[in-house]
Amino acid sequence: MEDTICPRCKTTKFQNPSLKMMVNVCGHALCESCVDLLFLKGSGSCPDCRIALRRNNFRVQLFEDATVEKEVDIRKRVLRDFSKKEEDFSSLRDYNDYLEEVETIIYNLTNNIDVINTNKKIEDYKKSNREQIMKSKNKMSREEYELEELLEIEKQSELSRRNEIKLEEMKTKKKKLREKEALIDELMFSNANAQNIVETFTQQVKEFKEVETKPASKVTQFSTGIQFGRQNQSSFLPVSIEEGPLFVYKPQGMVTDGPYPPVEEELSTLGYNVHIRTETEQERAGGFVSSIACMRALQDALAGLYHVKKAIA
Amino acid sequence: MFATSTQCKHWMFTSEDELNKLRENANFKHIQTYGRQVSEANRYEVFLTPDEEKLMVRKYEYHLRDFCKRFQPPMPRCVVGTAFHYFKRFYINNSVMNYHPKEIMVTCVFLACKVEEFNVSMMQFLANIKGDRDKASDIILNNELLLMQQLNFHLSIHNPFRPVEGLFIDIKTRCTLNDPERLRPGTEHFLERSLLTDAVLLYSPSQVALAAILHAASKLQENLDSYVTDTLFGVEGRGKLDELIDAVRGIRSMVKMVDVAVDKNHQKLLEKKLEKCRNPENNPDSEIYKQRMQAMLYDDDELYTQVVSERQNLDDSTLGMTITSPGA
Repeated sequence: MEDTICPRCKTTKFQNPSLKMMVNVCGHALCESCVDLLFLKGSGSCPDCRIALRRNNFRVQLFEDATVEKEVDIRKRVLRDFSKKEEDFSSLRDYNDYLEEVETIIYNLTNNIDVINTNKKIEDYKKSNREQIMKSKNKMSREEYELEELLEIEKQSELSRRNEIKLEEMKTKKKKLREKEALIDELMFSNANAQNIVETFTQQVKEFKEVETKPASKVTQFSTGIQFGRQNQSSFLPVSIEEGPLFVYKPQGMVTDGPYPPVEEELSTLGYNVHIRTETEQERAGGFVSSIACMRALQDALAGLYHVKKAIA
Repeated sequence: MFATSTQCKHWMFTSEDELNKLRENANFKHIQTYGRQVSEANRYEVFLTPDEEKLMVRKYEYHLRDFCKRFQPPMPRCVVGTAFHYFKRFYINNSVMNYHPKEIMVTCVFLACKVEEFNVSMMQFLANIKGDRDKASDIILNNELLLMQQLNFHLSIHNPFRPVEGLFIDIKTRCTLNDPERLRPGTEHFLERSLLTDAVLLYSPSQVALAAILHAASKLQENLDSYVTDTLFGVEGRGKLDELIDAVRGIRSMVKMVDVAVDKNHQKLLEKKLEKCRNPENNPDSEIYKQRMQAMLYDDDELYTQVVSERQNLDDSTLGMTITSPGA
């Protein structure tokens, strides 16, 4: 973007860091001050291609390439009319063909190929699909409306939640103050041992806190009574996931098919490890203990001693 | 744990009869597929009989043992045991005539080295093989996947060697036998011979280990019976004792059969017969095999080019243009 330059006044981004490029439907860029100057009356022609333009169609250039701007503009316009959804077609093939056609139209318009015929095509389409276009326009506006409503509700619930939290905070602050005062009063006027009094008070506070933490979790409820029972409402919410039963850990049992081997603690008490080589220091550093090998040998020796393969009748 | 292993579930058999039946089945299937033009009467003049196949497997088991013994660097016993298991398992469902035992044998050892984490490189491995080493490495690598597939990818093997150690520890701890280490040479000799039998396919590794120790003890006129009945099995295992005694007896009689001498001349004749009737598709020296390999290689290439061109077409059609180099 460093070498952005207005084609008319030759101002660059370097000279004027706040340079703002604007584009219109033709896709030729102008800087903001030139637009102000040229389109003082509200309309005029493009200095590049002499096409008649309106001032209020100028937009800030988002993309470096002005033709992209142009395409975005055209796309917006075309899609306003070509607004069929996949549901409107009997097969995926048809839908894809339709999309292909829309893309061709947009491509033609952006690259000035066969503009007259293409525009005619659009007109034809508009005529033959007037009802459809109206319907989808309605639908779009309704969807937008619903979205707004949802946002409104969210905002309100947020507000009410914040209020509640504020209230809660104030309450607790007051309570603390009161407790403190009560403690001081008690200490001043009571005859009991000061330490005891402090202890009972801290106990009370603790109990209170425990009680308090529980109901705090169910504050998330709308305080406003707005209903939003429309059918499309569910499409805005994430799909709820069906959760199966929770995983329960079952300890693995050992199938030995033989006499049970001694457990690890018995190795030393029964004297097994007298007969094995103790691990060296290096081996111990690596996490190897001789009892592991001993256990393994014993388990292997005893497992499968009862093994009998029965003939399958 | 052996009881939950694939070895226990899929590769333990009830009796030698069952094993023989399976092997006969493999033999029969091979003849069915490749010997349709041979008449019923002289079928076994051309092809090996199931018994002859068994003799061949037996012979190559000895080869396998000697190969492992001479192997440099010396390999741990568990590799040998595992290789034996693979070899035996392979020829339960396959015919000797289809895959030559000489080739399967080295492949088994090679795979066993990997599985038992005995790290030798291909070069080190080939140094132990006489003859054409390039050909040998081709054979091993070609057969490795086949072998694993025939083993159903059940690669972990429970060998009787660790149970022997466990039993020795147990005997030293709970038995009053004086100097149990005396039994070790006899035990090891027994285990080595047990690998040459079908015992490892019929009995659990701990049973084989126990039989080996009991055999060694009886050779030294020691008696471990009270250890087995009272200490090892105790009260809870009393009901199972009879089956164990049967198993030990079975293993010992099977191992005794190993010592029966074999007829060298007969073996040579069989070798010649096998050379004539082996499946040429799996014989690396045959023309058919070479053609097949070439075709496979070619197929791979063809498949690749096909995929690539399809991709290219797809790209072109979706973009509506051909990719040009940035300089163009």
